[in-house]
Formats: sequence, C-alpha cells, structure tokens
Amino acid sequence: MATIAPKKRTGTSRERTATHEGFLRHNNLFWGKLSAALALGLLALYIWVPLPGQHFGSSWLGYTLGTIGALLILWLTMLGMRKRAITPGRWSLKAWTSAHVYLGLCLTVIGTLHSGFHFGWNVHTLAWGLMLLVIASGIFGIWIYATAPRALSANRYDDEGAITEKQMIEALRSLDRQIHDAAQPLDPQSAALVNMSLEQDPFAGSFWNRMTGSYPKCATRHAAAELRRMRAYKPRVADDPVDKVDALLTRKEAMLGRMRRHLKIKSWLQAWLYVHVPVTFALIAALSAHIVSVFFYW
Amino acid sequence: MSFLVRQIALKSSGEEIVRPSTVEGDELSIGRDAANGIHLPDLAVDPRHAKVVQTAEGNLTISSVGTQPFEVNGRSVTDAVLDPAVGAELMFGGHRIAISRDADSGMLAFTVRRVEAVSDSAEDKDITTVYTLKGLLPGKRMSAWTFAVLVLISFLAFPIYSYITYKPLAMQEKARRPDSFHADQTWSSGPLSLAHKNLGGDCQACHTEAFVAVTDKACLTCHTKDAHDHIADKSRLLKARGEPTGMAALQRAVATAFNRPAGRCVDCHTEHEGAGAMPATQQKFCADCHNGMKGRLTDTKLADAADFGTAHPQFKPMVISGMDGDKPLFQRATWTPALQENNGLKFTHGQHLSKTNGIAQMVRRMPGRFTETDGLDCKDCHKADSTGTRFKPVVMEDSCQACHSLSFDQVGGTFRTLRHGKPEQVVADLRAFYRGGAPARSANLSGLARRVPGDAALRSTAADYARAVRFYPTRAEQAVAQVFSNGGMCYDCHTVTRGGTMASAGFTVQPVAQNDRYYQKGWFDHKAHDKTDCADCHTETGTSNKATDLLVPGIDGKGGCRTCHVGGEGAKLASISVKDPVDSSCAMCHSYHMDAGAPWAPAKDRKKDVGQTVAVAERPRFPVKLH
Repeated sequence: MATIAPKKRTGTSRERTATHEGFLRHNNLFWGKLSAALALGLLALYIWVPLPGQHFGSSWLGYTLGTIGALLILWLTMLGMRKRAITPGRWSLKAWTSAHVYLGLCLTVIGTLHSGFHFGWNVHTLAWGLMLLVIASGIFGIWIYATAPRALSANRYDDEGAITEKQMIEALRSLDRQIHDAAQPLDPQSAALVNMSLEQDPFAGSFWNRMTGSYPKCATRHAAAELRRMRAYKPRVADDPVDKVDALLTRKEAMLGRMRRHLKIKSWLQAWLYVHVPVTFALIAALSAHIVSVFFYW
Repeated sequence: MSFLVRQIALKSSGEEIVRPSTVEGDELSIGRDAANGIHLPDLAVDPRHAKVVQTAEGNLTISSVGTQPFEVNGRSVTDAVLDPAVGAELMFGGHRIAISRDADSGMLAFTVRRVEAVSDSAEDKDITTVYTLKGLLPGKRMSAWTFAVLVLISFLAFPIYSYITYKPLAMQEKARRPDSFHADQTWSSGPLSLAHKNLGGDCQACHTEAFVAVTDKACLTCHTKDAHDHIADKSRLLKARGEPTGMAALQRAVATAFNRPAGRCVDCHTEHEGAGAMPATQQKFCADCHNGMKGRLTDTKLADAADFGTAHPQFKPMVISGMDGDKPLFQRATWTPALQENNGLKFTHGQHLSKTNGIAQMVRRMPGRFTETDGLDCKDCHKADSTGTRFKPVVMEDSCQACHSLSFDQVGGTFRTLRHGKPEQVVADLRAFYRGGAPARSANLSGLARRVPGDAALRSTAADYARAVRFYPTRAEQAVAQVFSNGGMCYDCHTVTRGGTMASAGFTVQPVAQNDRYYQKGWFDHKAHDKTDCADCHTETGTSNKATDLLVPGIDGKGGCRTCHVGGEGAKLASISVKDPVDSSCAMCHSYHMDAGAPWAPAKDRKKDVGQTVAVAERPRFPVKLH
C-alpha cells in the first residue's frame, strides 16, 4: 500500500526558533501596519466625505465608526478569556495579543473620530474618556512589559547564578533559623529586638510600600541598627554572640532588599492591569448607557 | 523531690519525638538559658524567666524571676498557684508547657512543646500569591463589577428613572419639569441652541416617547403659529424628493429599520449643536428636492434650483405692470437687462447723478443742502426705512421740491405753492389767482348810468358783455394749460393726458406707484450691504435716463448677485474667479417659515401684532395640575 502516512504532530518535533519575537514585532508588524492603514483610511474618510449635519456621530460614517468601535471594544475585552488558552500558529495567542495591542491603539482614532470632536459633561464623553484611560493604561503596560523583565532578571542574578522566588523564601528561612540559634545567648532586650525581625512577615507592606520599594517599618533593619547602637560603647569581647547575630542580620537585610526589588518590579508589571481591566468593564457599562441613551432619546 | 520534663519535637513527617529527663531539686527554673531545668530556645523567653516551687500543701507556685509575664490557661500573669491534681497549661513565648502528674512514677510531669514557628518566614507561604499584588489592592473582578454597576446606575438607571418620573408631562404645552438637575441631562449630546435654551433639563419637551424619534407633534406643541408645512400635500413632497438611490437608499433603509422616519422638522432643524443661534438649514436639505425637481414633479411651476452659484434660475422681480385706479398692478417677470417697469413717473437718474450738468451746478449753489457738494447722491432722495432693510418711498415734498418748486406767487417773503398730488386743487388755485382778470364791465350796464332811451342798446351791451365773459381767454386757463403741458411743472415729472374732468381742466395725471420690494420670494437686506456702494449693484443708474429702466440687479451680469455670492458649496469658484466671494447657501435668502413681512428681522423690529413669530416659550414650571 503506497500511502503516505500523515505526519504525526508531536511536541518534540516542533521547530524552535532561536530568536525570540515578541508580540510587538510579531509577523513583521502585520497588525501594526493594518491598524495604521485603518486609522489613516478613516481619517481620510472623515476629512473628505461630505456629510450633512454638525453632529458627526449621527451621520452614516459616524454610526459606522461607532459600530466598529463598540464591536472592537468587545473583541479587545475577549483577550481576557482568550489568554487562558495558549495555542501556536497564525491564530496563536501571540498573534491575538499583537492584534489586541495595535487595534487597541487604533481605537483612539476610531473613537475620537466617532465623537466628531464634540465633548461635554455627558455619558458620551464619559465613555470616550474611559476608553482613553483603558488605552493609556494599556500603553503603560506595554512599556512596562518591554522594560521591566530585564530589570527583574538582573535582580535575580548574582555571582552564584539566578535565584528563584522559592529559593528567596528558603534563603530567608535559613537565615531566620541561624539568627534564632545565634541569638539564644542574648539578653532579653536584644533578644526581643531580634525576635521582632523573625516575627515580621517578609511579604508585609502596603501596595505603596511594594510600588516604591520603601519599607520604613522594616524590623530587621531596626534590629540591626539598634543592636549596633547598644553595642557602640561596650567593650569588645571575644566570641561576642552579638557579632554573629549582627552579621546574620546584615545578610538577611541584603536578602530582603533583593526580594523587595523583585516585588517592586513584579508589582509594576501587575499594577497597570488593576486599572486596565476594571476600567474596561466601566467602559463597557458606559458604552451600553451611551448606546441605550442614543436610542432612548432617539 | 524531682520533676519529670518531657521535651517533644516534631519530625518532618509530623511524628512526635519525646525526650524525657528528670530534674532533681525542690525548685525548677524555666528560661532560655541552657542551665534551666526547662530550657526553652525561644527569643521571646528571658534567660531565667520563671521558677516552679512545690509548697508544703502539695500545690505548685510559679512566679516570674524578672518582670516578664507568662500565660496560665490563657491568662497573662507573673505569679500563679496551681493544683497539680487539676493540672494546667503554661505558655512561654512560642512554647506550651502542660502540667500533669505522671501516672507511672507519680512525679510532676512538664510536657514542653514548641507551638509557634521559629520565624514568620518559616510558616507556610503560598508561592503563587505572595509575590503578587493579591490582597494589597481590591481584586480586579471586584472593582470591575463595582465600577460597571456604578456607571450603569448613574448613567442608565437614574436617567431612565428621571424619564419615567416626568413622563406624564410630555406633550403638555403648559407644564414642564422643575428647574433642577435631572439625570437624563447626562445623556445630552451638546448644549441646546439659543432659542431652546430655556427648555434646559426638560428632555421630554422634545423626546416624548422612549425609543421613538422626535416627532413633529412635539415641535408643534409650542410652535403653534410660527411653523407650517412646507407644502400642504405631503405626497407631493415625497414625490419631489424622489426615491433615494445608492448610498442614500441604504441610509434610508437603515434609518427606517431603526425607526427613524424621514421628513420630520428635526431633519433640517438639528439640535444639540452648540449654544449659539440655531444653525441655518443646510443647502443639502433644499437641494435634495429642488435639484432636478421638474423631472420628478412634472407639473410644478417652480424652476429647478440647487447651488446658488451654479444652479439657480434667473430672478423674477415683481414689477408694476399697470394701474387699477390708484392701485398698482404687479406681475412677476423674468429679469433681463432691458426689463422695463412703468411707475408713472418721468425721471432721469443719469442726469440727476451727473457731476457736470446744470443739476450739479444747482447743488453747488446750495452748499449744505445736500449730502455732497458737487452733485446729487442716492441718499438725497432714497431714505432707508427704520430697519435699514429697504427704502421708504421717495416723497416729492422732501426730495424733489427743493429744485422742482411748485410756487406760483410771492406775497412778501412767502411763496404760494400749488398743491402736489391734487390736480383739481391746482386748477382751482390757479383760477382763483387769475380771477381778477375778467373783461371790463361796460358802464351802461350799471343801473346808475345814463342811457339811450329804450332797451335795445342796453340789451345789446349786456349780450356783448355776457359773450365777452363767456369767451374771454383768461390768463388762468392759460396758466393751467401751461402747468399740465410740455414745459409745465407737472409735465416735467408726470405723464399727463387729456380726458379729465372739468375740475382738473380736462387733464389727467397718471397715478404714480413706487415698488418697495421687487424680490418677494427671496429675501434681500440692504443693511447687510451698506458697506458697498449703491452703484456696485445698481450699475446702470448713472447712465439711465428713462424712469422705466428697471435698475434692480439680476442674478448675473454686471452688478448681479453672483458677482459676490458664489453659492453654498463654492462650486462656482471652479470656473471663475470672484473677488471677495461670499458663501451663500439657500437659507441666506430663502426661509422655510416666512411671515408677511420678511423671513427674519431682529427681535426689536418685529411687528408684535403680525402673527406669532416665536414659540410659546415661557411654559410654567412643574408642578401643575394635569387633567
């Protein structure tokens, strides 16, 4: 039987490309070019198509732009569902993300032309403003995604190689155990200081602490500083347990510093989504009110 | 006396390892120091924290060595007396010590167990969430729902609530919402025009039904007298517009599908366009029907019209075609450069405006009497009316008499003049003036005279005298004839014919009519053109020496409107170059709602009694009684 068996799809035989191509440069900027062409085309229509009326939104081109814009907003929102299914190929998640980014940018042109540059304190301008807020937060997200990962990697590497998130916690646990043992001979006052460092959750801190990377209430730094202050005028003795505790606290501080930089970068990577996603839903609500109001007071 | 101390440690599998030891002595110390009977490697515990002593009664006394307290059965204390038979639970830092009596040996047993981790980091951390912002910010899902619901309530539910609340007020001329904020105002797409500003937040004044496009009925609720149909027969209107094709047909189909019927007031009178005056109706709305209308509405008398610059029929001025008694008869005639109008007068515009002839010389001799010093000017005779829109009729006494004097006698310094406009009076005055010129009466006709005997001579004399009186060619009749004939005062300006009554000595002066508005269908405002010289439009005036010349400009040619007015779309500019082109769409001259006077006049000049020109705008505020 001279039949050709269909090539089996296996995970192992998948071709791998050596260079990474991000969603911004995906498919030779196909979606970027498409969006730019769309924006220019609509701009040309807006300028040269003769239309009656002052209110652009109620002309045929206005309604067309509005319909395209509304459907586009719904489609762009679908990325939230689509991203949970990672697939390769032409309709890969990367292609979808690329389209999301570039068509989302194009939406500024579509939405603004739909407004006909008529703005006021009303639900229509509210929808437009929310749309711009979503797009602006998205642009910020792209910028963060383009720059932060490099800083994240740089922070994780040191002379001994990279450290994972799990290893960060393990390192802290190990230091804490050592500090605990080393601090046993200390007097009650010093022991209480050291204990505060052990008792503090290394992940404690508000959103603000995370974003700025500044932790003024850090118990470890406080303990180290207080121990040194208390020891400053005491005579030096051999095998002072405080020496060991001090050295360990310094190491813990350094480890905490690295972990907090990690947390800071990760927070910036995530925080924009806390604007992008909820405001998207506010936008969809405002968009619904906008559409209903137009037909309600037709 | 000895104590049994059991130290319990946990294996990683969770299994317990018990390490018992016996402490000899009457006293048992508890602390972080390794020398203590119960050694607690706990930084929260003092090196020598507390000591346990058994009293004579068999009770246990536990007391802090320093000031640091400890917990007994969950209570923080520094001293405690316990009954070993009952037992107790002590807590030092992260360690729990259970006190009981060992069943086998009968010794007091202290079971020590570490219950808290050495450090916080040693506790379980969920690696998938600790490095994220979870818990630090309101969740995305949560805030998404909150925002969405807030927006829907404020900008959808609340406006609909406002609409429902005031729904009974719709279509009520005499009722409207109170003057305050109404949520559906947030739906307004832009400020209302000046005319509708006071409707303010009363959305339902126009938007009467939900999901129904604004109806003409809503407009007519207030516009009771100042609006009317373009033409009464709507079917003709639809026929004139014709069936839309191409893109227009598609638009029509979509509009119909979305319940937006065509041909409503608001199709042309668009609102929410800004706070200024309502914009003029756009040319497109006129041209949609009037462009090529003859093809669709074959029996129409109207000519096709679209853009003024390229597709407008020649003007048809209303000219005086004759007289019916004293009343002029008007007729519309297509404008041509040679169009004539007989207003009954003789007048030479050219001569009167000359700067070089005798008339100019007369003006020079009367400095200060006229506008200019070197000749007559248009406004010496033509005075604008109060609005400046048109001109008042020329009045002979004001404008002509300075030169064309009607005086015939001087008594002292006073001139006696003939009565203008009253030929009978003129004849009577002249006859009275010359009455003294009758033939001399013969002396023998008086009773006192000496006479020849017998009546024959007297009768003959009387007959002769009577004949003389009857046929005496008086100077009065000569003067009357002279005034009404060629070279006479009246004849200079008026057309005089024979065939009059005795009272006017057989003469008839043709009645005179002055036409104050030539273009009745379009609207022309002289005031808007007062920066231009009269002769820029009335170009032939300086050379015209016939009163019948119609000096009103037409659409084209020298001085015609298109000299400056290029239409609404400027298409005209493609073929010719116009200095200072004026954008002029249909509504500049034509208005949909014309009243008797003019399409539009400033409010201060409007005649209040001529119909109602503005809508009943001052509707009383809510609440009112609804029936």
